[in-house]
Amino acid sequence: MTIEQEALKHFSEVSVAVELQTSDMTLNIGPQHPSTHGVLRIVAKVDGERVSDVTPVIGYMHRGYEKIAEVRTYPQITALVNRIDWVSGFANEVPFMAAAEKLMEIEVPERARYIRMILTEMARIASHLMFMASYPLELGATTPLMFALRERERVLDLIESVTGGRFHPNFNRIGGVQPNAGAGPTQKKAIQDLPRGFLQGARDAMDSLLKTCVEFDELVTGNEIFLARCKGVGILSPELAADFGVSGPNLRASGVAFDLRKHTDYLPYDKVQFEVATGTVGDSFDRWLVRLEEIRQSAYIVQQAVDQIPSGPLQAKVPKIIKVPKGEAYVRAENPKGEMGYYLVSEGGQGPYRLKIRSASYSNISVIPILLEGVLVPDIIAIMGSFDFVLGDVDR
Amino acid sequence: MTASPSDTTATEDVTGPSALDSYAESVAKSVGALSWSTNFDTVKVFVATDKWTSSLRTAKTELGLIFFSFLSAIHWSNDVEVGDAPSDPVDERLEVLAAVGDLIEGHLVHFSTSLPVNGAALATLTGIYGGANWHEREAAEMFAIDFVGHPNLEKLYLPSEFEGHPLRKSFPLLSREVKPWPGTVDVEGMPGTADDAPEDSATESMPSGVSTENPGR
Amino acid sequence: MGVVEKFGIPKPISSLLNWSRKYSLWMFQFGLACCAVEMIAAAGPRYDMMRFGIIPFPASPRQADLMIVAGTVTDKMAPAVRRLYDQMPDPKYVISMGSCANCGGPYWDSYSVTKGVDQIIPVDVYVPGCPPRPEALMDGIVMLQKKIQAEDMREKWMERDREPV
Repeated sequence: MTIEQEALKHFSEVSVAVELQTSDMTLNIGPQHPSTHGVLRIVAKVDGERVSDVTPVIGYMHRGYEKIAEVRTYPQITALVNRIDWVSGFANEVPFMAAAEKLMEIEVPERARYIRMILTEMARIASHLMFMASYPLELGATTPLMFALRERERVLDLIESVTGGRFHPNFNRIGGVQPNAGAGPTQKKAIQDLPRGFLQGARDAMDSLLKTCVEFDELVTGNEIFLARCKGVGILSPELAADFGVSGPNLRASGVAFDLRKHTDYLPYDKVQFEVATGTVGDSFDRWLVRLEEIRQSAYIVQQAVDQIPSGPLQAKVPKIIKVPKGEAYVRAENPKGEMGYYLVSEGGQGPYRLKIRSASYSNISVIPILLEGVLVPDIIAIMGSFDFVLGDVDR
Repeated sequence: MTASPSDTTATEDVTGPSALDSYAESVAKSVGALSWSTNFDTVKVFVATDKWTSSLRTAKTELGLIFFSFLSAIHWSNDVEVGDAPSDPVDERLEVLAAVGDLIEGHLVHFSTSLPVNGAALATLTGIYGGANWHEREAAEMFAIDFVGHPNLEKLYLPSEFEGHPLRKSFPLLSREVKPWPGTVDVEGMPGTADDAPEDSATESMPSGVSTENPGR
Repeated sequence: MGVVEKFGIPKPISSLLNWSRKYSLWMFQFGLACCAVEMIAAAGPRYDMMRFGIIPFPASPRQADLMIVAGTVTDKMAPAVRRLYDQMPDPKYVISMGSCANCGGPYWDSYSVTKGVDQIIPVDVYVPGCPPRPEALMDGIVMLQKKIQAEDMREKWMERDREPV
């Protein structure tokens, strides 16, 4: 036996011995941790640097929406629902309104539908920009946070100029929208329309946003460390995604070109041209790319919508006291996080008999234990962050 | 259109497109459902409790409904602790809903089955749809439904010492009992409630869409 | 009985110490819900709360002087809030940000929400709003700084084991 062979034998024995000595360690992340997007808790069993078993513990943000919705009136629920997914509040209101309007058989004026569409896309941009800010931060880069937040403030300014709220607009009414929401009952003759300069402001903001997307491409997308951290990490197959109800950008990153904006008519998306961004591999990097592309597509939608927006009333005729006729309807919408749906059961009262809220992040993160099996410890954050969940949307 | 009327669905004046009706009918036929409905564009297929797993397996393997959207339940009860009671008396039961869809056409089908309130038990779907795991845990916690065969039917949201099943209609909200709704202190005269005060000026001064009737709900 | 309890701290020294403390508050971001996003926005490029001497870096309560509880505290979360508060070194301050942390907010009748973080930890400044704008949070911070400046260090020392109201 040569010296090299002996040395090899020795090393293999040593490595076997080292392997035998390791024992599983339980690693607890959360519920308060800067990288878990809120109060998610992850209990991971790790063997060295490998994760062998992951148990997410949720419920730290469970506020009991479905129960308290049963004791609220429909206008009061509007204020509640935009706090579900709190980075895109406006988008949460729309499907709820659509469900109630469907049961009441109200036709929403076209201008109101366009305003809803513009603001929904702006909420999507704001939500995705929050992802653009937080995801590189979780991977160790602080600069993109500043870029994204700067752009996000511009979009929030626009939302605020119309709705009066930065990200909890509470702006939809059953049958339309209510600009100058703060005008109050004394100002009956208040001009109830979009503020002057909004449309031009939206055009300018979208132009600057598209430039920022190029900056993001240069700053982050090609970054070597960023690529090393997320390329090929956390690959989600389309079958697994569908099985767990993963929706939205996470599903599209796996190569499934399914976008509810193309399939449902809750907003006039058939009047605008846009492409459904899809990925190819389904890894964390694809999820980043899909969201970046969706920001661009949303900007295009806003640009087209502000050019096309028709004039007309903003509110359909609705009774003063809103009572929804007896019936059941499920309306789902393509929210920034994925499929958001409301199963509304009305018994003819002022509030719902039962409101099932199907939130996207809940289904999205239910697949995480499977994706995290066998990955390295630092990849936990890289994979979880790429799913872009919000705990309010998980726990409700 | 509703194939066989059910008391849970409004049957009058439904203007669903007929394509949806024929789709719902074909789904109901394939899975051997009791009945189906397409009220307000919501396709709902009623199946017997013992055919729950088999019909959903058919839906996944043969009808291409591979996307598991949600699973939840509705507690139909005439005796409600908070909120409104049903307008007409209903049979006391738990209606379990599972929504599954496809990712090409954008169809979504709600499978529905009824369970007795006491000792509600249903076969688990975790063997068919992986996503059913958390949704069933949620339903078990909120409605006290036993999903037979579920690998880990523990509490999902609430602390382990929490007692009760919040989404049952018999579950009270204690905060409401110890404290009236804060808004009631400066709102006077609720028209239209049980003790029916005459319509006053408060109704006029409210912005549209804000209920003056019983704002404390 | 220590020296501080017995004799207190001379006023010039105390005000110098207070002045230096109020402009170097290390903030532990207890971001829970919607308000956390506004707290991040307040730390972002437009509002930039670092110019008030608030340093939003510590990820651990053990390095922090100030805890901002931003968002809904649920009954399941409450023990963790208390535990993290206990880990902070004295002197420590708490800002309760938003209606939920103040009193339960829109979830006042929920079965799972704690009706105010002041039931578990003592709070120095309440910032109302749902969610408060970044400006409102900054106003709360300035208010806290004024409170620190006016503080008698002896009293602060004595009340270090205070309990929530």
